[in-house]
Amino acid sequence: MKLLKYTFALLVCAIITSCSSDDDSNNKDLTGQKGDLILKFDNAVGDQDFIFGTTYNKSNDESFQLTTLKYIVSNIRVKDNEGNEFMYPEEDNIFIVNEADGNNAGEIWVVLTDVDAANYTEITFGLGVDQERFALGAEGQGDFLDLASEEGMMWSWASGYKFVRFDGTFSTANVSDEPLNIHMGSVGASLDNYREITMSLPNTILVREDKTPEIHIKADIAKVFNGASEINFADGYDQVHTDANTTPVVAANVQTMFEVHHVHND
Amino acid sequence: MNVFQDFKPLVVAFALLFVSITVSAKNTKYKCCHDFNPEAWFCDLCGCSTSSGSFGFGTLSNANFVGVRYIYQDFESRNGIFENSPKSEEVFNTYQLWAQVPINDTFFVTANVPYQDLTRNFQGNKDNLNGLGDISAIGWYRLQFYKKKSSDSTLVDYNSPKEPSGHSLQFGLGVKLPTGKFEEELADNVNPGFQVGTGSFDGIFSLGYNYGGDKIGVNTLMSYYLKGENKNEYQFGDQFSYSVNLYTVFLSDKMNIMPFVGLSGDVYDSITQYDETLQDTDGNILNASFGSELAIEKFIFGASYTLPVHQSLFGDNVESKQRFSVYVNFAL
Repeated sequence: MKLLKYTFALLVCAIITSCSSDDDSNNKDLTGQKGDLILKFDNAVGDQDFIFGTTYNKSNDESFQLTTLKYIVSNIRVKDNEGNEFMYPEEDNIFIVNEADGNNAGEIWVVLTDVDAANYTEITFGLGVDQERFALGAEGQGDFLDLASEEGMMWSWASGYKFVRFDGTFSTANVSDEPLNIHMGSVGASLDNYREITMSLPNTILVREDKTPEIHIKADIAKVFNGASEINFADGYDQVHTDANTTPVVAANVQTMFEVHHVHND
Repeated sequence: MNVFQDFKPLVVAFALLFVSITVSAKNTKYKCCHDFNPEAWFCDLCGCSTSSGSFGFGTLSNANFVGVRYIYQDFESRNGIFENSPKSEEVFNTYQLWAQVPINDTFFVTANVPYQDLTRNFQGNKDNLNGLGDISAIGWYRLQFYKKKSSDSTLVDYNSPKEPSGHSLQFGLGVKLPTGKFEEELADNVNPGFQVGTGSFDGIFSLGYNYGGDKIGVNTLMSYYLKGENKNEYQFGDQFSYSVNLYTVFLSDKMNIMPFVGLSGDVYDSITQYDETLQDTDGNILNASFGSELAIEKFIFGASYTLPVHQSLFGDNVESKQRFSVYVNFAL
């Protein structure tokens, strides 16, 4: 019987010790270490995954369908738990998020390489192209100028980039299947519609040489029409191009459409 | 009697330990409900639940045995963050060697060696993962209750053995070992949580009450799983499992037939990684089941079918469809 007692006592000890883990490898010196970080952009309309050709209802008895959905994201940076900011290198820090490039889950991936290893808690990015980058001139745009031209995200060099491009059709109480084109951007140096979005992460992400975390960002397209303010196609928001009145309203709405849905750590 | 007295302090300590753990589980805050981590749930369901108390550790009659059990489980899960995200179907096939081995009159051990064969079907693409799962073993102490001697008896009969009342309590203490491989990274088209094991050492604390009469019997069991952290600093949420089974006994010359109905369930606490709680990784499920055991000489054949009655698993991103199990045991 004694043997049994000891066996049990041993078992209890084993369980209690095995259940408390103290090998915390999170706080080693990370100087010089780099890793990758993946941003997954996932376009939505409310709680629904965005799908081309689907008719979505909005307020004012209006509805829309899209055949093109893209936007420019730039100046991505992350802040760690000590307040240090890591800015992705400027020349590569501009991307076109195109729904047509989505994987079978409808996610568009932006992969950042050589990110400083740290524990990040916040992300910031810009929607569009800021004035400093535009001021670098056509030469200073690097490969992105060609890419943006190919993707139809430019008016002309003088007018500049289209920050968002929604093409499709819309219907109201009075008209149906009329063309819808929302091409919002800055206009040269005179109209600045570049906006930044800062979001805290629901869980800390650990970027390491051997760990590639993912930030899953939901972009709710419905907010473009009903974000900071409500806009209606019937009021002229069916064709938004370089107008100094309508584009800032769209820019303010676009700024509200992003949300970090969740993060993954390896 | 001596044996019981010897162990009395141990039993009390055990009961206290169990109670304190259960209480602390109740105090745990449960987070709700707009986010989810698709990595999270799989392992809890595949790696642990098939060795969970809600499946039962033994036979209805509490016989000692060695045997094999097959468990089929069917899940549907949302493959994305949206209401209209496509669903994938997961089928878990578990093959177990299981046993209940006596040590003496009051102690016995149950053990379970699973082999997991998991298939995930997403839009026509099938992923398969198989291998040894997490082995678990539990040591049990059985406290048998006896009928009171009739009070009017003036004669004390020292010779007649005490008559069991059919009621008993069982206290179990066990471990689940990380024998199933927890793979840190699988390709993106495979759910990263699609795993055969949790990769952690877990403690198992169980308390059961059984009544076995001539015609009917009741088995109840509560188990608490204290989950450890695995090498990826990933810690599945603690789990509380419970089950109640009612059975009747039909005796005949050749065989015993024991049909049963039961309720069982699991409550999962949130998963933590790097000491942070992950959202929408908790959940609970209540199941109803029915089945029967058939004992012919030394062999016990069993089958059961289980359907969820109520469930809220991992932000409702996972839905348990059904489960089915068959087993053949050889009584020891």
